Amino acid sequence: MSEEKPTVHMTIDGHSVAVPAGTTVLEAADALGIYIPRLCHHPHLTDNALCRLCVVEWEGARTLVPACVAKVREGAVVHTHSERVLRARRTILELLFSAADLSDTPEIVAYAQTIGVNPERFADGERIEHPIYDDNPFYIRDYNKCIMCNRCVQACGNDMQFTYALTVGGRGFHTHVDTFFHRPLPDTSCVFCGNCVAVCPTGALVGKTEIEMAITGEENHGH
Amino acid sequence: MTAKHDSPDERVAQIIGRWASYGRSGLLPCLQEIQSLTGWLSPEICQQVAEGLRVPLADVYGVITFYGLLYDKPVGRVVIRLCDDIACFINGSGDILRATQEYLGIQPGETTPDGMFTLEVHPCLGHCDIAPFMLINDQPVGPVRPEDVPEILEQARRAVEVKDT
Amino acid sequence: MYEPILLRRVGRIHPTRLSDYETNDGYRALRRALTWRPEHIVQLIKESALVGRGGAAFPTGIKWESVAKQPVTPKYIVCNADESEPGTFKDRVLMENDPFAIVEAITIAGYAVGAEKGYIYVRGEYSKAYDTLATAVAAAREAGYLGSHILGSDFSFDIELRRGAGAYVCGEETALFESIEGKRGWPRQKPPFPTEAGLFGKPTVINNVETFANIPWILLNGANWFRSLGPDGSAGPKLYCVSGAVNRPGVYEAPMNITLRELIEEKSQGLPDGRSLQAVLIGGAAGTFVGPEHLDVEMSFQGLSAIGASLGSGAVMVIDDGTNMWDILRRIARFFAHESCGKCFPCRYGTQRQREIVERMANGTVRENDLERLVDLWATMRDASLCGLGQTAGNAIESGLRLMGVLTT
Repeated sequence: MSEEKPTVHMTIDGHSVAVPAGTTVLEAADALGIYIPRLCHHPHLTDNALCRLCVVEWEGARTLVPACVAKVREGAVVHTHSERVLRARRTILELLFSAADLSDTPEIVAYAQTIGVNPERFADGERIEHPIYDDNPFYIRDYNKCIMCNRCVQACGNDMQFTYALTVGGRGFHTHVDTFFHRPLPDTSCVFCGNCVAVCPTGALVGKTEIEMAITGEENHGH
Repeated sequence: MTAKHDSPDERVAQIIGRWASYGRSGLLPCLQEIQSLTGWLSPEICQQVAEGLRVPLADVYGVITFYGLLYDKPVGRVVIRLCDDIACFINGSGDILRATQEYLGIQPGETTPDGMFTLEVHPCLGHCDIAPFMLINDQPVGPVRPEDVPEILEQARRAVEVKDT
Repeated sequence: MYEPILLRRVGRIHPTRLSDYETNDGYRALRRALTWRPEHIVQLIKESALVGRGGAAFPTGIKWESVAKQPVTPKYIVCNADESEPGTFKDRVLMENDPFAIVEAITIAGYAVGAEKGYIYVRGEYSKAYDTLATAVAAAREAGYLGSHILGSDFSFDIELRRGAGAYVCGEETALFESIEGKRGWPRQKPPFPTEAGLFGKPTVINNVETFANIPWILLNGANWFRSLGPDGSAGPKLYCVSGAVNRPGVYEAPMNITLRELIEEKSQGLPDGRSLQAVLIGGAAGTFVGPEHLDVEMSFQGLSAIGASLGSGAVMVIDDGTNMWDILRRIARFFAHESCGKCFPCRYGTQRQREIVERMANGTVRENDLERLVDLWATMRDASLCGLGQTAGNAIESGLRLMGVLTT
């Protein structure tokens, strides 16, 4: 028999919520039907709170707070779309547009439009050109679409597969997903389980079958 | 225990042996100790470390590429880390950098063709009281005058040559 | 005439000769501590009003108390010796010249909070400091000041040294833990805080080298004495690192009612002949510029806060009128872009774009939307970055552009 958690009462965008202790603000907002955008959060992966898109304004806190990891607290008052939040979200998205190809991430592109993002705002900035890695029979890696959300690395590692073929290389703006000394996937511990492809939010990792079907116009027959 | 006549491979294996019981938390000190011997961390060395400390192979590489003092490519016998940040700049690091580039004929990030010197511009080295400052391998040198540069570098070269004999 | 406390032994003893240290008040504090209950020591540090000297200025006693109260074991003491804030070299001076003071202080902390293991994480470029500390730790162990049943008590404690590997972000406490744990220095989300789940996920006291250096003196001379040194709200002595366009750069110790003018004109013997003051960068690359009109500011937490600046690590970098401020700003922007760990989006992209815009402005090409983009970058990094590096990455650039009259809003 599971222990009952105490109920926590707080306010999100003026709405009262009453949820079990341990619920995140993101979960509470989702339950309320309040949409908070997110990119690095995935229901089956550990939250690293690195994309910062889900930040909310928490009254009394010095900085904005990532909703994906912030647990509900009694009496807290949170705003998910205040001016301070929107400014940060807009800028983060504008920075993202300048650094990655988001053409296969329609829901973020759509959300960006609703808050007045200018995708060209930082277009004069450096953009790293990645080759497309087609080194195995199963999937393609196009890191021009990679937003370094860390999902694939976690899926390959501690969160799902424990294969650890993928790692994070470099630092700062040059941070990228990599393999041991850039080796092609068949030369790594990769077992082609496809978990990384399944969790990639931007289409940087795509199964070859999917691509072929897209080209031939075939529907997905449940593969 | 390493003996002077042990081969580089044996010494690497001994270092790994000493850090093996630490597992993952021994990774950085193990890599640092090996690198002080070999100059850089090759794929072969990474493989041995990964096995010895039971750390995923890809993670060993990911760690090396994060840290500015760990190298996944060969570097010179002497790594010059020259500071060009605020206090050193105000005190003439630009002239020191120019003198070093001219003397060695290389740009920051490059290694001399004989494999002796690698030149790096390094973030603030915490020796602003003796600016302008540079590290010659782990030796602190400062304040440096442009005319001192050739002798500083030749001294470093001689030290390496003595070590080799 | 102020008599140095933290720098008392610096240059006056052989750094690694234990007998020199013992003859100069060394290990008296630990002996005293071991006769007290641990709670008493925590209370004493709380009453002293000592706050962290690494830049964040968190009350040390409260930090120790949080860890002391944790039921989880083991607990750890970590000394943050990753000193990498540009313009900061006080910890290096302490480590190279009075290493036993750090070792003793860490040991006292272990006793006070119930830890048996301490780590000192020294930035990788400080080989001399590392070697000096290693020698001191070995000597302390040999003399029974570290190890099991220290000085015949029930208290056992030992210290392990670790080297950084060239990453400013590893001065951030959780990134430092990641580094010791053998990982890339990516900071962790807080909460949980280190006092609850720090190194290896255990309750951890992490303090700066200079913070630790104060501990033995508080034990020997008391909390009232400590608070009497300096103005209200800024208790205890402070080490200021003055560098740049001054005749005598160096580490200077003073109570925090010293003014910027006294630091520059008296302690550092002013600017070289013919040069006059343009600006002072206080708190390093993460700090703020102040102009000549603020020379009489009190170098305390509240004094600087009142003029929109902050003490940070205590770095004071003097910029003369012959220096082009753009050359300073481009170096600060370069620094943050180079040191951003890349984990969170605002800082990963923001420091890069800030650098590009500042470089281009420094080279003379200003685009119409440059300032407004910078203003949004600064607000976004400050409000949404995952750690203090991103949060402060725009501070100096913003204050610099204001001082130069480029930013007027």
